[in-house]
Amino acid sequence: MLATSPSPLVIDSLPQFDAELVARYDITGPRYTSYPTAPQFHPGFGEQQLRAMAYASNEDPIPRPLSIYVHVPFCFSPCFYCGCTRIITRDRTRADTYIARLVDEIGMTAPLFDPDRQVVQLHLGGGTPNFLDAGQASALMNALGQAFALSPDADREFGIEIDPRHADAESIRLLARLGFNRLSVGIQDFDEDVQRAVNRVQSVEETRIVIDAAREYGFRSVSVDLIHGLPRQTPERFAKTLAEVIALAPDRIATYSYAHLPERFRAQQRIRAEEIPDSAMRLALLGQSVEILCAAGYRYIGMDHFALPGDDLAVAQRHGGLHRNFQGYSTHAECDLIGLGVSAIGHLGRSFHQNARELPAYYSALAAGQLPVQRGLMLDDEDVIRGDAIQRLMCDGHLDIAAFEQRHNVDFARSFAAEISRLRQLRQDGLVELTPQAIDVTARGRFLLRVIAMCFDAYLAPSADTSRFSRTV
Amino acid sequence: MSTLNPIPPRIVNLHELRQSCADCALSQLCLPASIGGTDLERLDAVVRQHMPLDRGETLFREGSMHPSLFVVRSGSLKTFVSLPEGDTQILGFHIAGELVGLDGLAGNRHQCTAEALERSSLCEVPFALLSDVAAKVPGLQRQLFRVMSREFGREQLHPVMMGRKQAMSRLAIFLRSLSERLAGIGHDPHELTLSMSRQELANFLGLVIETVSRLFSRLQAQGVLLVDRRRVRILDPAALAVLAEKADDSER
Repeated sequence: MLATSPSPLVIDSLPQFDAELVARYDITGPRYTSYPTAPQFHPGFGEQQLRAMAYASNEDPIPRPLSIYVHVPFCFSPCFYCGCTRIITRDRTRADTYIARLVDEIGMTAPLFDPDRQVVQLHLGGGTPNFLDAGQASALMNALGQAFALSPDADREFGIEIDPRHADAESIRLLARLGFNRLSVGIQDFDEDVQRAVNRVQSVEETRIVIDAAREYGFRSVSVDLIHGLPRQTPERFAKTLAEVIALAPDRIATYSYAHLPERFRAQQRIRAEEIPDSAMRLALLGQSVEILCAAGYRYIGMDHFALPGDDLAVAQRHGGLHRNFQGYSTHAECDLIGLGVSAIGHLGRSFHQNARELPAYYSALAAGQLPVQRGLMLDDEDVIRGDAIQRLMCDGHLDIAAFEQRHNVDFARSFAAEISRLRQLRQDGLVELTPQAIDVTARGRFLLRVIAMCFDAYLAPSADTSRFSRTV
Repeated sequence: MSTLNPIPPRIVNLHELRQSCADCALSQLCLPASIGGTDLERLDAVVRQHMPLDRGETLFREGSMHPSLFVVRSGSLKTFVSLPEGDTQILGFHIAGELVGLDGLAGNRHQCTAEALERSSLCEVPFALLSDVAAKVPGLQRQLFRVMSREFGREQLHPVMMGRKQAMSRLAIFLRSLSERLAGIGHDPHELTLSMSRQELANFLGLVIETVSRLFSRLQAQGVLLVDRRRVRILDPAALAVLAEKADDSER
């Protein structure tokens, strides 16, 4: 890809949170961790296509570095807000079988890639990755280290999501020894009343132990996840949570918006709908988070993400080196993503694919000597071009039209007449600035990136079922 | 690409090529300037449109009988021979306007295998018929010699390249040659799309794949190239020329 430069306007100015405006655009929409989005994946993309894409990915003069995502589906107890693929059990031995199958998958997958291709990014997500005990985590990392060339560089991003309720300083030390350098700590909310409503009671103290240990054992970056829109939240209570979080001084903070889709995620049926903050309250919570976090020195990166100015993400955004992938924002460009484990998503060249989303199907494919891929998608030129427009707007808040035309050999004005007219409506509300040279997201528009990106989504026909996606704010 | 409008290409689209030699965009490469009328018809009668090949499909195999001469109209091919240990050695890459199959000129068999690197279209002229028509069409024989001589000249580049100890010189010679050949058919000489894989390049240059990638990365870091997947833009042709011409002993 040619270099892109972010708009100085967007990066240097504080985002402006306009509650009335955000309320008007409070519609459902994709988060664009990929384009096209996962609902477009289909079962016509299987093992044969995956192998062909993997081999083809080795053929570029400079093959992309590799990124690996490993899904660990187990959790000790159900958090009621969760929409992830997970299995609730207290039986840690269930992970023994799972790790054995993962090792099989690693053994079948690694030979598809030329051995000189380095893994510069690794992410363990869940579920609860620290459901794995020391032996299981070591077995997994040994298998990865033997099968793949893990980058020895300090700027590699090897991250793991941690539930502090099941971690201590010793387990964090082990993770550092296994090579992890980024910790993603689940918090959601420190208010006990909220915690009881979502079945996740976690003290500030046990969280602090984990974060302090990460610092002590040399983790490069600590991020924490919060959720606004959970039952029983109020601005007063959430302000207290934010103050406690700021005192922990994480490098990155993500404040996700709770999407209540109980018909799709069964665990959410245990959340009492009448306790969920209404739209006005959710907006107040978000607006307050922006204000408090920015006042505390965090930079707003985009979507739900904040980072300290010295953090790699904030630095990368200032230099136009920010990218968006399934883990959110990243500083590593253009990796080929290998997804391992149940429900994991991969992204090889111009294709996406996803593994079986249920354990029995995942296990039986591997037992039969097959890769457990269940569905996927080959991107055509149009998907790639639209995906690039969406990526630039979500990461840089800026799209340079001449550079875009040169990259893709398209006439922007002629190709995107309908999209431009949709953008003109957003311009009237002050979300974007439009010139023949560029599209720029305004300070007001930064909270509505999804709405802006949706202008370029060819799969969102007016009649399309968007209820599968969470709300845009 | 139903709704996106490509910018019209500035050069002739080689995929839309000819029904006959008369309106072939590559005719100046194949035909004598003076040819016309009945001579063209004579030529048309022996030139066959070969079925387009998809990536990985074989045009002819080592040892196959009744060799033909082929002109690449669009796409690209590689030619290679099998080595006793079961490996292969790539002899060359052939882009639009270039000949494939000259190895069959001497005997009645092809001496290498030709395989498409991407979807490719070709003109086919059986050697047996070619000599007949060349005898009848004034100037065609001389033109054929000219074209063949150009091909032989290009093939001589390979031993020169392989004689270089420095891997960087080999790659620079290759990229420069490809650039010049693109210029010859009216393409932007600084915008290369490599249809061969990293493995194939490594084989042709006598290098290991890691070295190929390291060299491309270094050229990119030095601002000589901009590499985006298979697309390679030559940003600094002069620097590339220096690397290509630099003798081994001056590297240190």
